[in-house]
Amino acid sequence: MGTKIKIEFDEMNVQESVTYILSTEYGLKPNVLKAEIKDDSSGIMILTLEGDQSKIDEAAEGLRSKGFTVSSLERHILRDKARCFSCGACLSLCPTKSFTFDEKTWEVHLDIDTCIACGSCVTGCPVKALRLNL
Amino acid sequence: MSKTYEEINDKIKAKKAVVCTAEEVIDLVREKGAEKASEEVDVITTGTFGAMCSSGAFLNFGHATPPIRMTNILLNGVPAYGGLAAVDTYIGAAQMTEDPAGGYGGGHVIEDLIAGKRVHLRAWGPGTDCYVRKSIEADISLDDINEAYLYNPRNSYQNYGIATNTSSRTIYTYMGKLLPRMRNITYSSAGQLSPLLNDPHCDVTGIGTKIFLAGGEGYVAWQGTQFNTANEEVNGVPVGGSRTLALIGDMKGMDSSYVRGLDISGYGTSIALGVGIPLPVLDADVMRRAAISDEEIFSDMLDYSLPSGRKPMARYSYAQLRSGKVEYEGRSIRTSSMSSYAGAKKVAEELKDWIEKGEFTLARPSAPLPREGRLKHLVAKE
Repeated sequence: MGTKIKIEFDEMNVQESVTYILSTEYGLKPNVLKAEIKDDSSGIMILTLEGDQSKIDEAAEGLRSKGFTVSSLERHILRDKARCFSCGACLSLCPTKSFTFDEKTWEVHLDIDTCIACGSCVTGCPVKALRLNL
Repeated sequence: MSKTYEEINDKIKAKKAVVCTAEEVIDLVREKGAEKASEEVDVITTGTFGAMCSSGAFLNFGHATPPIRMTNILLNGVPAYGGLAAVDTYIGAAQMTEDPAGGYGGGHVIEDLIAGKRVHLRAWGPGTDCYVRKSIEADISLDDINEAYLYNPRNSYQNYGIATNTSSRTIYTYMGKLLPRMRNITYSSAGQLSPLLNDPHCDVTGIGTKIFLAGGEGYVAWQGTQFNTANEEVNGVPVGGSRTLALIGDMKGMDSSYVRGLDISGYGTSIALGVGIPLPVLDADVMRRAAISDEEIFSDMLDYSLPSGRKPMARYSYAQLRSGKVEYEGRSIRTSSMSSYAGAKKVAEELKDWIEKGEFTLARPSAPLPREGRLKHLVAKE
């Protein structure tokens, strides 16, 4: 599965090849889940890293010294459980099958560990109970 | 053996009625047969909790001093109808605020009112000799207005088509978000729990039947709009959208956990409501029909990327749909439900609970629903 991290960058470091640094300098296996650059040249990259935790920590420090903001990704998708009425519209929209029905109650469960923050479910939710928190 | 409404209601009042949900009677009938099951069970409860766009509420605000004849009305910015008497209105679930990107509509106003929240009223009138005021603002709640009742012209659809998208772009429909090249399909019926699939020819459901509507008591008021009996039947139930019901009920007794204002991206606003209908087990036929299971109920898949002329592409049972994926031309396609099966179960369970506790008796219909109904099409001028 790997560790999910968020890297924020700005116009000072937007041209750096982050994945090249992560693989050659720290021996990590990065997998980019999402990367976007805004009009003001700032942006974020969401990726999973496979490798030793000590190497991941070193890499995070290394990137911080180059001006990136690095944080681990937690609660990257938020579900308003009071709003959700378990219709299941999200199930077939999720590429990683992070939403499932409970076999007994048919309530919708979300496995945040497998969620890659693509956001496909957000527009598909008819009660707008889902939100990305990146 | 047969039972009467009076016998069943006497048992309900004595808290001795045996009640099962439409899900529970499936196994019961498989085990004991419909005859035996109909002797044991008095009432079967059904349920559904999904989008019902053709819904809305009649409200009477009461008169202000001096009074106004309201002709233009906004509730939390959502336009309501101004063509009734001075302070009566109707707000439709699919009505959106003037800014359609707001994601808030009549369904949300109805949910907010039922949840006990205050709603901002703005209204304007022409100013007449008998209604001199020309505008008003007020914050209203369900407690401080006169009448507030849902009157929904088309609810509780008997079955409904399955949606997919063969085009190369994502489309946003009232059947949800449909991914390109048939990457997913969506369906909406509660299947084996759905009221009209358990009483497919409305033998025991008619005008005046007392029902569970959004957590309160309601009634079947009339046949729903687009009431259609012409579809092909398989296992005694129609394939695709058929009969519908017009429902009425007092909002003041409703529970917002059975109401959701919907914001369906790319389509607009709507409302999801929990609806449950009790079926009196008058004889074994009522039981036999209600024992239908998801394996026996079918619907056809339609291509929603076509603007019209959608032809059936494949037929699936609700058991297949609910499994999470179906096969189409050798590939697997993932499914999504647009109505809540968890909610349908809760409705059927809660209605069962009311009846078991003796709080909800059955009403014999005053008049039957039509035996036949066919859809007419609107012919546009060239």
